[in-house]
Amino acid sequence: MKSRTAAVILIILLAPVPVFAEQASVITKENAVREYCRFFAPVVAPVRYKDILEIVSPQGDWFKVRYKGTEGCIHKAAIEKRTASFSGAALPGKGTGAVSESEAALAGKGFNPQVEASYRKKYPAMRYSLVDSIEHDKVSEKEIAFFITSGGLNKP
Amino acid sequence: MTKRITVFVFLMFFALHPASHAIDLRGITKHLDTLKSVVGATTKAARPISDEEEYYLGRAVAARILGTYPLSNDKGLTEYVNLIGKAVSLSSDKPFTYGGYHFAVLETDEINAFACPGGIIFVTKGMAGMTTNEEELAAVLAHEIAHINKRDGIAAIKSSRWTEALAVIGTEAARTYSSSDVAKLVAVFEGSIDDVFKTLVVNGYSRSQEFAADESALQYLLRSGYDPESLNAFLKRLAGRGGPSGGGITATHPETADRIDNVAGKVPSGQTDPQSVQIRTARFMEVMKPAK
Repeated sequence: MKSRTAAVILIILLAPVPVFAEQASVITKENAVREYCRFFAPVVAPVRYKDILEIVSPQGDWFKVRYKGTEGCIHKAAIEKRTASFSGAALPGKGTGAVSESEAALAGKGFNPQVEASYRKKYPAMRYSLVDSIEHDKVSEKEIAFFITSGGLNKP
Repeated sequence: MTKRITVFVFLMFFALHPASHAIDLRGITKHLDTLKSVVGATTKAARPISDEEEYYLGRAVAARILGTYPLSNDKGLTEYVNLIGKAVSLSSDKPFTYGGYHFAVLETDEINAFACPGGIIFVTKGMAGMTTNEEELAAVLAHEIAHINKRDGIAAIKSSRWTEALAVIGTEAARTYSSSDVAKLVAVFEGSIDDVFKTLVVNGYSRSQEFAADESALQYLLRSGYDPESLNAFLKRLAGRGGPSGGGITATHPETADRIDNVAGKVPSGQTDPQSVQIRTARFMEVMKPAK
């Protein structure tokens, strides 16, 4: 009996328990994990809204993170820290300095694409096509970096 | 004895496996899910809108503004304004928003600029034409970026809208809403757009919001390498211009003299390389020549 109990204890104690490191989810539509913690650093992995990253360590306004086996940096404003949840759902984490701690919990709620679609249907004259064109016309990262350097501005 | 062993096992388990580790226990899951929704609703009440929602609201406000003012098709000026704005936004308190920062020019002589929630910023051709160099145009954009960083547009929405929205959001966990819920949310959406639009275009922000935006703009300018004094210089010229502008910035902003008083003594000291200013002014003249 005693040896059986001991065996049970050992099994429970040594059972592989999945270990979750601190996680963060991306809260911008698109962003990037970069080679080092600076804007304009080479992109090692593009990320999208709600992608989950593993936090390695904070680095000033940046976080060193791991994403799909790749390590790199992402700015604190682009992510929201999460704590591992038993059901896989996000819970607000402790202060990250990021813009919001509730993005994951609120994702898709309230004013979302479904609401915008209904609103556009109700008001077809609204100039959404122009808004789309404004969002679509992007200046590239390379152009911004060149603009900053050639104008003697501070590279952030 | 068995009880003691059970307790021991549990104690050892938790001692060896830190709290951050996952344990798949249905009861805990259920409680956490409940906690999650409570936390979500509470956060919603305290901070009524997520960045994603702010983005959709901002798009609608931008669409509404574009129904009032025509969009300029001056590609050179639009690209230039975007480059300055992006450079400054990277040095702001919030370099990234859900949909990013986008800058556009409105084809009107009216002197004004508008920051739509989420990151779309409009500057009128009249406003751009009022600036005399890149530093001043950067100052105008820095002020608008500050409004976005501070979510001033969202603050313009009546609190009763959130009560109405929460009545739907608080009970609905799914991403897809029923048609009656969507109708209710669209009504709140419409009301919120009205609130923001009226504040941006008709009534303006409060004096304290404008003063705070000026103060933040000074910091963004310094960090990005622009001369912060340019904000002061621009405001002085705006004040010196005198007379009613037929709406525009004088209608939606506090007295320019008050803004100058507020900024006085707050301009951070920093060395701006005169040669770099010269280079920036030269490229400003190049872009603005056809615009002015």
